Amino acid sequence: MEFSAAEWSAIHNSLWVGLLVVLVSLPPGVCLGYVLARHRFPAKWLVEVAVNLALVVPPVVTGYLLLQVFKPAAPVGGFLSRALGLRVAFEFPGLVVAAAVMSFPLMVRAIRLGFQSVDPNLETAARTLGAGWWKTFFTVSLPLARNGVIAGCVLAYARSLGEFGATVMLASQREGNRTIPLLIYTLKDRPDGLASIWPLVAVSLLLAAGALVASEVLERRGLRHESA
Amino acid sequence: MSRLDFNCRHRFPSGFEVDLAFEATGLVTALFGPSGSGKTSVLGMIAGWLTPQFGRIRLGSRWLDDSPAGIHLPTERRQVGMVFQDHWLFPHMSVGDNLGYGQRRRGSGPPIRFDRVVEVLELEDLLSRYPGSLSGGERQRVALGRALLSNPELLLMDEPLAALDEALKLRILAYLERVVTEWNIPTLFVSHGQAEVRRFAQQVVVMERGRAVAEGTPEEALGQPTPLGWTNSAGPVNLLRIDGAMLRGDQWVGRLGGQEMKLPPVDGAPSHPLFVRFRPSDVTLSLEDVQGLSTRNHVLGVVSRMMELADGFFVAVDVGQILWAEVTPAAVRDLGLQPGSRVTCLIKTRSLEVVG
Repeated sequence: MEFSAAEWSAIHNSLWVGLLVVLVSLPPGVCLGYVLARHRFPAKWLVEVAVNLALVVPPVVTGYLLLQVFKPAAPVGGFLSRALGLRVAFEFPGLVVAAAVMSFPLMVRAIRLGFQSVDPNLETAARTLGAGWWKTFFTVSLPLARNGVIAGCVLAYARSLGEFGATVMLASQREGNRTIPLLIYTLKDRPDGLASIWPLVAVSLLLAAGALVASEVLERRGLRHESA
Repeated sequence: MSRLDFNCRHRFPSGFEVDLAFEATGLVTALFGPSGSGKTSVLGMIAGWLTPQFGRIRLGSRWLDDSPAGIHLPTERRQVGMVFQDHWLFPHMSVGDNLGYGQRRRGSGPPIRFDRVVEVLELEDLLSRYPGSLSGGERQRVALGRALLSNPELLLMDEPLAALDEALKLRILAYLERVVTEWNIPTLFVSHGQAEVRRFAQQVVVMERGRAVAEGTPEEALGQPTPLGWTNSAGPVNLLRIDGAMLRGDQWVGRLGGQEMKLPPVDGAPSHPLFVRFRPSDVTLSLEDVQGLSTRNHVLGVVSRMMELADGFFVAVDVGQILWAEVTPAAVRDLGLQPGSRVTCLIKTRSLEVVG
């Protein structure tokens, strides 16, 4: 199977988008998942609505809104471009931002479930043993919520690989700035396009299956001691 | 030695109120009472995860809570070790890592050594195992060791034996006693088991509906006529202390106060003191000492009080310790039993169970 330069670029972009989305989303995803699992506060419902909005709004609409925020003429997009030299719309960062926004609710949901499965009594036990909040979080809560965190990462990665609607709005269709789904969509309208898509489809399947296998291996490794 | 001074009041949203003041003066103090009487809430206040609306809690010279002065130490700074009913061992850590989790060197006394805890609680073979593969008794020993190694100034135990079966209870109780004598850590334990309270505690606070209804030594506090939960449970348990157990000829004997008891065979060298356990229904009361019976133990005493149940009486006989006998209403009537009656308690040696 030989790949063209455009195909290589799309595979390369997709992998980096998936990886960066997971890395960028993980810290806020863990914080938010923990807060939603453990705390009650007056505006909690508002936070939940905000986080889950991207799940229910049509992706193209989300992409449109992102474009309005990040286009060079908009205040935020203009600021990022001038102050940091970071151009989001129509560039590679746009691929990451669109995928991150779309996959964040899935990640938070899985991580939240992970923390909810940790018995709060274990955290209390750690406190009676002299562990402060941070030590308790990093030695008890987070390790025990590990499977939820892994599931959240896999979901976010998979969602990023598949993201199309918001991405196509924010990143546009420029040569060299396509992910696998964008390239597949582009190729399909060319003569003989449907046949040439097969290698990309195979790569997509491999990447998705690989994520599932990796998560399974990680979860089992963790479970080895805890079952029985 | 640290002494605990507790005086707190807290009303829950449900309307249930805990209003309790006591001083723990001895080494081991028991909070005794039926479930739902507020015992665990008291432990929560001492451990710091429940903030009372009004509370003053002093441990030794340190204030853990002083709500008028705005003091409320967080749990992790109280140096209060806790052993929970469900042990709450960290499932993702080996036994060794669990034990080492809270290990610290500060505290007033000499540090408690890891090796010594492992030795006393016989944890050597468990160190590399994980909590998921341990039995209930093993888990409870690890939980006890873990709490000890945090060098606590006070040990709190929330029904440490409740999840264990009878035989295991006695073994864990023996470990608890070893720990308390070895390290002299003041201990407050919550229980609704009379036998363990009588055996283990020097001081008892009996709680009901969030308040103390009796306080004192186990004999005093548990002898009070309170409408306790045990009237509808299995009833009181006889657990009597026997001193100077020895083999005379082929018969084991020991002293119950000034009177001699004939005991069933004791395994190995007798530890001092021994305890014998038997059911109140195994005791026969007689107004005069009857000769020519096969029943070997004739213990003289005075009826100190009587509790009427649906289908019988529990009679407390003061024989130096309190001994409970269960008799029918007809027997009470025919014998004219009342507080002050002098009686002989007939107990077959075969019905005695030696524990400890």
